[in-house]
Amino acid sequence: MRIITALWLRNVKLFFRNRVQLILLLIMPFFYLYLISTIFKSVSIDDSISYVLAGIVIIVVFQTSLNIATSTIEDITSGYMKEVLVSPVKRIEIAIGQMLSSTTIATFQGILILIIGYFIGMKYSNLTTPLAIICAMISIGFVFSSFGLFLAASVKNAQTFQIISVAVTTPITFLCGVYVPLSLLPNGLQFLALLNPMTYATAFFRALSLEKLSLPTEELITEQLAFKVSNFIITPQLGMVIVSLFGLLFIVLSTLIFSKVDFTKINRAQGNKDIFQQ
Amino acid sequence: MENMIEVKNFVRKYGDFTAVDHVSFHVKNGSIFAFLGPNGAGKSSTIHTLCTITEKTSGTLLIDGKDVTKDKASVRNVIGVVFQDSTLDNKMTVEENLKMHCHFYHIPKSKMDERIEFVLSIVDLIEWKKAMVSSLSGGMKRRVEIARSLLHFPKVLFLDEPTTGLDPQTRANIWEYIIKLQQERNMTVFLTTHYMDEAEICDKVAVIDHGKIIAFDKPDVLKKKYTIDKAFITSSQPKKLEELCHYFSLEYEKNEDVFTIELTQSSDIMGLLNGHRDSIKDLEIKKGTLNDVFLEITGRDIREG
Repeated sequence: MRIITALWLRNVKLFFRNRVQLILLLIMPFFYLYLISTIFKSVSIDDSISYVLAGIVIIVVFQTSLNIATSTIEDITSGYMKEVLVSPVKRIEIAIGQMLSSTTIATFQGILILIIGYFIGMKYSNLTTPLAIICAMISIGFVFSSFGLFLAASVKNAQTFQIISVAVTTPITFLCGVYVPLSLLPNGLQFLALLNPMTYATAFFRALSLEKLSLPTEELITEQLAFKVSNFIITPQLGMVIVSLFGLLFIVLSTLIFSKVDFTKINRAQGNKDIFQQ
Repeated sequence: MENMIEVKNFVRKYGDFTAVDHVSFHVKNGSIFAFLGPNGAGKSSTIHTLCTITEKTSGTLLIDGKDVTKDKASVRNVIGVVFQDSTLDNKMTVEENLKMHCHFYHIPKSKMDERIEFVLSIVDLIEWKKAMVSSLSGGMKRRVEIARSLLHFPKVLFLDEPTTGLDPQTRANIWEYIIKLQQERNMTVFLTTHYMDEAEICDKVAVIDHGKIIAFDKPDVLKKKYTIDKAFITSSQPKKLEELCHYFSLEYEKNEDVFTIELTQSSDIMGLLNGHRDSIKDLEIKKGTLNDVFLEITGRDIREG
């Protein structure tokens, strides 16, 4: 427990020390909010600002958890990991420390955006809603942290990693209904969006933060919070179950891979010389 | 336990390339042991395997009686490692780096500050406790790493080229600390180096080349075995000196009035010096160095033969 806490604290500290990044991360979402809320007005979504903001919050949680989970490993493979690896620290402790810290940072950012969002019109009628929102951010953050850790530990080479990480994150980001309404997508891409766990995470999070979880199904579908696949309807709640299963799978996979991977073969540092092959 | 480190028939392959080829050696408890060899000889591969971060291809490697592949956790607890390249966390302060290490090695929280003060005092960096690692010079970073590796009082300290790239002053200081600690704590030190003078102060040296140990003994014994001492004499009566050399049957080379005489033992020259006392303008006796040992064993002659 002590090691997990120490590793967690290290990453959180590192995040807060980078002030420029902190400020940029706060400004960018509102730039997007301004940009996309007009698009969403055009697809008959009332209260488009709150609708879009909720989406942005969850996509920020997604991006941050994924980024931190992958970049902390990179940062560590730059040399520091060797210090950790020759110590009696267990691999699983490193993995858990990484996932917890990226979840924490992601959730923290989500909360900051929501606080600012409150002043531009995101109101809750029920007091439990903010609490439920935080819990949702934590679980979604944890799901994608483990996914990020899985990616980071399974790709060995620096260049391949960049390509793969773009190839994976771009479709997840753009095919989940946050930046582009799903109804505006061509049919093929709409189908792909339904395979994207982030689609369900977004829908659930929106329904939760707009307090629309109990709306009738018809309305949920027009608001693009529930999805109809032939005759089967995926409600936001069911969506969250899907996301959780996806998360569970990757928590298991990432800890397994992370415990087994030979870090001496991961070469993310600049230059091609493998320091271990002297 | 007499042998702190025991390695038998250790082999490490990278694909088809054999980095370490059936290497066997042992290191006595409390001694300083050096791996001497050129780059790519297999030094780091051996250290990495002993430190449990790479796997062996075959062989047996024991530290403190524990198998480094089967009992990684116990081995990790008793070793301290300073790698060839920095493994400090650059974005953290010196103190934070050391604290992380204390957490990793389960040093009781009540003892953390005391230990950190202690190791920093060894390497003279107490005033730099709050400094960011990225702001330190190369030599200071090295000293922080050495301090860090000592925090948990390891039984064996691995130093992979600990002083490469440092100025002579810093190198001398670092060595002073290492020897002091080794004597105070009866710590076993295993180092790799390509500085011959560093290998000289070790209790035993293994010369490794192309993945094989080609010599393994005390530095003195190696020098005796593979090198000869040389006397350089400048004489005012070269003719007479030549005669004396023949008389004592010593091999010599003559360059104007400077004689280079090869000696199996330095004392062999005593008789000659006595007989030539009045005509010696200058005298220098050079002992063989580990450098000569290395040249002698790995030199072209041997490779071709």
